[in-house]
Amino acid sequence: MGLAAAFWVMAVFAVAAALLVVSLRNIFRTALALIVCFIAVAGLYITLSADFLAAAQILVYVGAISVLIILAIMMTREVRQGNPANRPLKLPVLAVAVVLLGLLVYVVVASPWQVSGTPPLAPTTGPLSRLLFGSQGYVLATEICAVLILAAILGAIVLAKEKEE
Amino acid sequence: MNPIIFNLEKLPDWFGVLPEIILLVFAALVIILDLFVSQKKILAAVSLIGIIASGALSLGFWGTELSFFNGLILTDSFAVFFKLLFLGVSFLIVLASEDYVNSFRRLQGEYYALLLLATTGMMLMAGAGDITTVYVSLELTGISLYALTGFLKDRKSTEAALKYLLLGAIASAVLLYGLALIFGITGKTGLGEIARAVQAQLSGSASVSPALFLGLVLLIAGFGFKIASIPFHMWVPDVYEGAPTTVTAFLSVASKAAGFAIIMRVITSVFAAPDWLARDWATVFAVLSVLTMTAANIVAIPQSNIKRMLGYSSIAQAGYLMVGLAALGSSPFPGALAGMSPAQSGVLFFLASYAFTNLGAFTAITIIAQKIGSDEIADYAGMGRRSPLLALALTFCLVSLIGIPPASGFMAKFYIFRAAVQADLLWLVIIAVINSVISAYYYLRVVKVMWLESPPSAEKVPSSALPTVSLAVSCLGVLALGTIPGLIMKLAEMVNQFMP
Amino acid sequence: MPDISPLLTGHLPAATAAYWPGGYWGHWAFYTTALITFALLMVMGAIYIERRLLGRMQSRLGPNRTGPFGLLQPVADALKVLIKEDIIPQPADRLVHWLAPVVAFVPVVMIFAVVPFQKGALLADLNIGILYVVAVSSLTTVGIFMAGWGSSNKYSLLGAMRNVAAVVSYEIPLVLSILGVVLIAGSLSLNEIVLAQDIPFIFLQPMGFLLFFMAACAEINRSPFDLMEADSEIVAGFHTEYSGMKFAMFYLVEYAEAIAMSAIISVLFLGGWRGPLLPPWLWFVIKVFAVFGFMVWTRATFPRVRIDQLMAFAWKFLLPLSLINLFVTAIQVLTIPDAPWLVFIINTAVMILLVIIWSGLFKVGWGRVEV
Repeated sequence: MGLAAAFWVMAVFAVAAALLVVSLRNIFRTALALIVCFIAVAGLYITLSADFLAAAQILVYVGAISVLIILAIMMTREVRQGNPANRPLKLPVLAVAVVLLGLLVYVVVASPWQVSGTPPLAPTTGPLSRLLFGSQGYVLATEICAVLILAAILGAIVLAKEKEE
Repeated sequence: MNPIIFNLEKLPDWFGVLPEIILLVFAALVIILDLFVSQKKILAAVSLIGIIASGALSLGFWGTELSFFNGLILTDSFAVFFKLLFLGVSFLIVLASEDYVNSFRRLQGEYYALLLLATTGMMLMAGAGDITTVYVSLELTGISLYALTGFLKDRKSTEAALKYLLLGAIASAVLLYGLALIFGITGKTGLGEIARAVQAQLSGSASVSPALFLGLVLLIAGFGFKIASIPFHMWVPDVYEGAPTTVTAFLSVASKAAGFAIIMRVITSVFAAPDWLARDWATVFAVLSVLTMTAANIVAIPQSNIKRMLGYSSIAQAGYLMVGLAALGSSPFPGALAGMSPAQSGVLFFLASYAFTNLGAFTAITIIAQKIGSDEIADYAGMGRRSPLLALALTFCLVSLIGIPPASGFMAKFYIFRAAVQADLLWLVIIAVINSVISAYYYLRVVKVMWLESPPSAEKVPSSALPTVSLAVSCLGVLALGTIPGLIMKLAEMVNQFMP
Repeated sequence: MPDISPLLTGHLPAATAAYWPGGYWGHWAFYTTALITFALLMVMGAIYIERRLLGRMQSRLGPNRTGPFGLLQPVADALKVLIKEDIIPQPADRLVHWLAPVVAFVPVVMIFAVVPFQKGALLADLNIGILYVVAVSSLTTVGIFMAGWGSSNKYSLLGAMRNVAAVVSYEIPLVLSILGVVLIAGSLSLNEIVLAQDIPFIFLQPMGFLLFFMAACAEINRSPFDLMEADSEIVAGFHTEYSGMKFAMFYLVEYAEAIAMSAIISVLFLGGWRGPLLPPWLWFVIKVFAVFGFMVWTRATFPRVRIDQLMAFAWKFLLPLSLINLFVTAIQVLTIPDAPWLVFIINTAVMILLVIIWSGLFKVGWGRVEV
């Protein structure tokens, strides 16, 4: 009961914030609405007993990504009202979004999902670490992520370095 | 299966990714050496050694059917074929880059390292046995390529990198959603497990659940971006034009081949059974193929920039390749797991042929652009007189792209179309042949400009040693595949996918 | 009505359901009230200590007129600031300007939710405790950002932008140095981490402590990293346009953050509430104030760094050292998990060696000659 209530509160917050993100004119407030949306999603993770994921969501999305988005906004104060060139696309975009929403809702409702019957794990950190780093888990994918970060750092260096004369 | 010396049960997990690890070590070595050596050619040499070492190790896995890391990575002849293809391509690219990298002298180490990292990602894609590995290796490739695209740092290159990044991010989001839906409906991440779960769910029923259907559509869209099929091709012309020419060559060959490798891993083999499901996605590929070929060939005609033109041409080639995918799904033995599918070997042969052909064309363009400083077709006037050998090589590659014997492009199309006819897709083959004829127009226009028009200056176009070697190897490859196709075809027919 | 007698006797109940006084909600309400009170009291103490200690270090008296030894100075300050006029600049984004202090304040208080004051005495013994702390503390930045943007003042904006540069850079060494502790303790829960400290982790992780302390000082913009409110450069940074109650909130945030970080350092490295003779909660408070005093000492000693030095320090000093520290610790946990004194000797030697080597890379003014 309490869990269901929490879920609905978070869900309403997430959707409302997401709607604000697309409808607000002021681009800084848009970014703030995005943060609220991220936090609400983190709340959803908590209702799913995925506390580690929720903390990671806050840390990465709110603490790092949103902050970088805001920083980018601050550096481009001229576009605080959004791009006027996008305005004629409003209706087509709305149509596409509505169709997509209908499709996804239909898919979610009509599909026979695989639902696990086991109760959620109480301390999630141990099993999670075994999944991420254990030899019976996804250690290779984790290691590839490390290589991916190396590639991203190299790319960032390339793009950030000043062009030589 | 070949006899293997090692005790298979006791192989440590890291053994399965040894070729990738070697390549990665050499990538790191390149970065570190970059700090100390002033003669940057050493970096190219180190990269080449790494590629050769990795290739030799990959070869050792030919014929094995092993899974490592709990099924996250598979080694089979399919993976080895593609790994060798990717390594071969990056070998030739490194050779061809010799002069070109001088335009970004300070970043040469990063250039080679990112090239190797992208290749590593593609190799992992070819061997992926789990949707997590599929996704992260795809991202590894993608991120390296985004950075490589922006290497020139001029307006066009930056714009190209940004477009590629944005559209690539959307495509990978789409792909991830598809993977999530498929995970949700099957509850599994391993490709083999997913295949069995799908088969179990669909046996006896005549329709797919909406989630599986949407998941499959999203997968095709996500991978469609990678192989640049219309309507997911928007990035191609700008990116190909803006990126450094060597990177464009890498993109058009290796990245596309990786896309097809992953499609054959994730779609055509996992969703091979039941038959009607295979026919469903085969129809999707057939429709996409028609769209891709026709639109790309028509749009390529008015292009005046040769990189842009080759961009559209490479989209069209993806269209021909998708004829093979359609045949793979509609053949009596759908999917690669049935083994010896003529469609699969056709696609593999086409990819090998296309790799040599397109690399040759792009290397020629790189050398010419170094000298004349332009990618406009009009500036190629009289190239036949200014540099007969270069022009000849480029002509030969363009002829191969049309599909005229003795170049390999002919045999490649022949194999794929034959497989399609056997799979009752005659209508598709007819459309493809009509398209080949259309494409002849714009390829031959370049040939005409090069040989029949008078040059603006009599100055020769010189070329330095290594790029010429790369070009020669490519042309030889095109010729060899065209005249003795049986050799590589035998190999392609032996290729089999392993699914634990 | 929750039973508050344990608080008075010094025996706080454990955070397990069986010991919750007044059930789940009672526990929740009791600890929330207690925490906010605790945080506010500690902040007042911190302000007093900082002003007095700083005065002493600068050879002056500091506030000593309000109450005995000037103890009531924070109260007087609070009263003064509460009745000041609340000014909002005309071009400001009023909503954002108004929300900013609240957004900055809430996460700081939330940090205290997982801080153990005594064995099991905490609002929530999350098994992701320290990750929660790092995640929540990163939220404060958003509030500071809102203040910088909402004020429509270029100095505010500059202060906020400096803040993000600092926070984003210093978060990495901060988290990496925490990981060393987590590896040794084998848990993310702050309660478990304290219980694992038969030897305080400052001995096993000397470099981790050093790096964490420096990164934490930068993260919460304590001097010498207080660039975002450097008054000689950008007036008062992000809170230039704030006055009255809202300014008081930011003032509060600043000290609450310092207290929170001191508490986290005490928990991670100094053994939390553990100690001989004195009651655990008193040990905890003593350690928190000791760490805070150390922060004041740094403030009084070092001059403020420049913005490029701030960045270079994070990326070229803290980051590589914290990576090496993590690597060394991981090897030790795998190879010599049962020899703490060996670990202590090795890690101390590694720290001294690395700090000396790396310091050689940095010169005053980074090679630039300035007058």
